[in-house]
Amino acid sequence: MKLINLQEVTKRYVTGADCVTALDKLTLSVKEGTFLGVMGPSGSGKSTLLSVLGALTRPTSGTVTIDDIDVYGLATEKQADFRREYLGFIFQSHNLIPYLSALENVMLPLAVSKFSSAEKRRRASAMLARVGLPDRMLHLPQQLSGGEQERVAIARALVNNPPLLLADEPTGSLDTATSRQVMELLAELHRSGQTIVMVTHNRDNLEWFDRTVYLRDGLVEKDTGKSDCSLSQAM
Amino acid sequence: MRLEHIVFHNLRRRKGRAIFLVIGLMIGVATVVTLLSLTDALSMHAQHELENFGANIIVTPRSEQLNLNYGGVQLGGVNLVPHEIEQVSLVNIDSIPNRRNVATIGPKVLGTVEMQGQRVMMMGVDPVAEFKLKRWWSIAGRPVEQGAELLVGDALVKRFGLAIGDTLQINGQDFTVVGLLAKTGSQDDQLLISPLSTAQSVLGKEGKISMVEIAALCHDCPVNDMVNQLQQVLPETDVQAVQQVVKTRMHALDQFRLFAWGVAVTVVIIGALLVFVTMMGAISERTREIGIFRAIGYRRRHVLHLVLMEAAIVSVLAGVMGYLAGVLATLAALPLLDGGKAVWHLNPALAVAAVAAALVVGLVAALQPALRASRLEPSEALRAL
Ligand SMILES: Nc1ncnc2c1ncn2[C@@H]1O[C@H](COP(=O)(O)OP(=O)(O)OP(=O)(O)O)[C@@H](O)[C@H]1O
Ligand SMILES: [Mg+2]
Repeated sequence: MKLINLQEVTKRYVTGADCVTALDKLTLSVKEGTFLGVMGPSGSGKSTLLSVLGALTRPTSGTVTIDDIDVYGLATEKQADFRREYLGFIFQSHNLIPYLSALENVMLPLAVSKFSSAEKRRRASAMLARVGLPDRMLHLPQQLSGGEQERVAIARALVNNPPLLLADEPTGSLDTATSRQVMELLAELHRSGQTIVMVTHNRDNLEWFDRTVYLRDGLVEKDTGKSDCSLSQAM
Repeated sequence: MRLEHIVFHNLRRRKGRAIFLVIGLMIGVATVVTLLSLTDALSMHAQHELENFGANIIVTPRSEQLNLNYGGVQLGGVNLVPHEIEQVSLVNIDSIPNRRNVATIGPKVLGTVEMQGQRVMMMGVDPVAEFKLKRWWSIAGRPVEQGAELLVGDALVKRFGLAIGDTLQINGQDFTVVGLLAKTGSQDDQLLISPLSTAQSVLGKEGKISMVEIAALCHDCPVNDMVNQLQQVLPETDVQAVQQVVKTRMHALDQFRLFAWGVAVTVVIIGALLVFVTMMGAISERTREIGIFRAIGYRRRHVLHLVLMEAAIVSVLAGVMGYLAGVLATLAALPLLDGGKAVWHLNPALAVAAVAAALVVGLVAALQPALRASRLEPSEALRAL
């Protein structure tokens, strides 16, 4: 089943007289349960692709459907609801709220939901335990290591059980060992059926993906998941 | 956890930032409160001073006869010996509804006496009251206090060549000159002034009063009301307001009020700007944070809720503390101003207004950047650092 469908998506940034085409009529679909890697040189449009997928920025043209919902056909407040219910985000860094503890950060998406206080707490602490931080709940972000912060961010992204997890260079600022721990965690989530789209620069991460898309100048340069691209991949 | 908790944790765990913000807003509020309560105290005091400045109500005996006198020129008719006011009736003044507005009562007795073969006017006064009413009097020597003492008007000093310490025979009684009244340009220059009871006995008018001058403090009642009240308790008299005095006084006060208002408006604007800029900066720097909230699925409404709730708490806190700081500053500054005679008094309206204004200005200031940040596409907000 196709979870994500991008149809001729173009995103242009206009700054003054300059016009940058970050995505150029990009068409892409992703099946449920895929762990998709997005690679490509700097400025090739990877982050833009993720933003467009995540209802964070409206494309200049084209349509984005996720789970058969036309994301940019939704009203602004409905898009927020959509993000809360369907998506989990992990950004490279600075994405925890500095004045909230690990547990409170994980509870953030639940703060505007109707669960009881006890239920919010239970879900958040279960998720923190799942990412391996059962004993760091009351720590503030600044009291956590980079890898721990990243895992808190993953827990927060997952606490609403979203069908789709979007990650922009989650290991970008981590050392090899910590980066591996984070990848193992994502792989484990993938094994349990989670759909993940992850942007990365690091070729070492390739082994974890079951499909990789290479971008260049806003276009798909290579896609390991396309059967007509390479015969060996089709098997 | 609910939205309130996020606000609460933010204020609690980023105390330094919260305190800085509160202090920034507080300075604005305190400046306004200080200047407003200073002008308030000073204008009250100025009013008080002005109202002590001379009599504004005059009580004279009722004359049944038509007054045939214009500009001091007698136009005929027999000028009957005027009635006098009974001194005992003056206690009635204490029974009028606005008795608290009566500041000074200056009863006097008037008559003519023989001195060195010439007829001169003598006035008996209640020394304390009179010198309060006639603040512009400038006296060489000292005012009369009691017994056979005389304060002599300038014209008489010149005519008789008098000096302090001289003894004079008046109607067969010895008086000592204790003070000389500098030229006033009024009828006072023609007077021999002595204590009331002394004059009454010399003039043979024991228990009688020729006229009463009254100073009324009338900032919350029209002088005319007091005139009517006095007329009722002193039926044998004519009570009149000295309109001229009242008008000048009101004019002077109005001028001062206008000035005070000018200062107040300027200060309120500056204070509001201070609060505005501080709050706006504090919210603007949180654009990225707002981006995170939006990315994890907070509606614009949720973000505004968070920001405005925090702004409200901080503003009210700053309003209360700013008011208190302003009061303290006023108390500290008052003794240094206007001879230290002006006093501070609680003005609940100012307290409420200070907190309410801080709240409104804080909210309006927070709303603008919060709206701006929540209207950005989440990806743009996230980009901000
Ligand atoms: N908000 C923006 N305004 C203007 N131009 C932008 C904006 N965001 C991205 N761009 C431009 O769009 C192009 C794609 O940017 P994007 O961030 O998607 O690249 P990327 O592949 O994520 O690069 P990197 O690997 O360095 O993160 C770049 O040329 C960039 O300069
Ligand atoms: Mg990027």
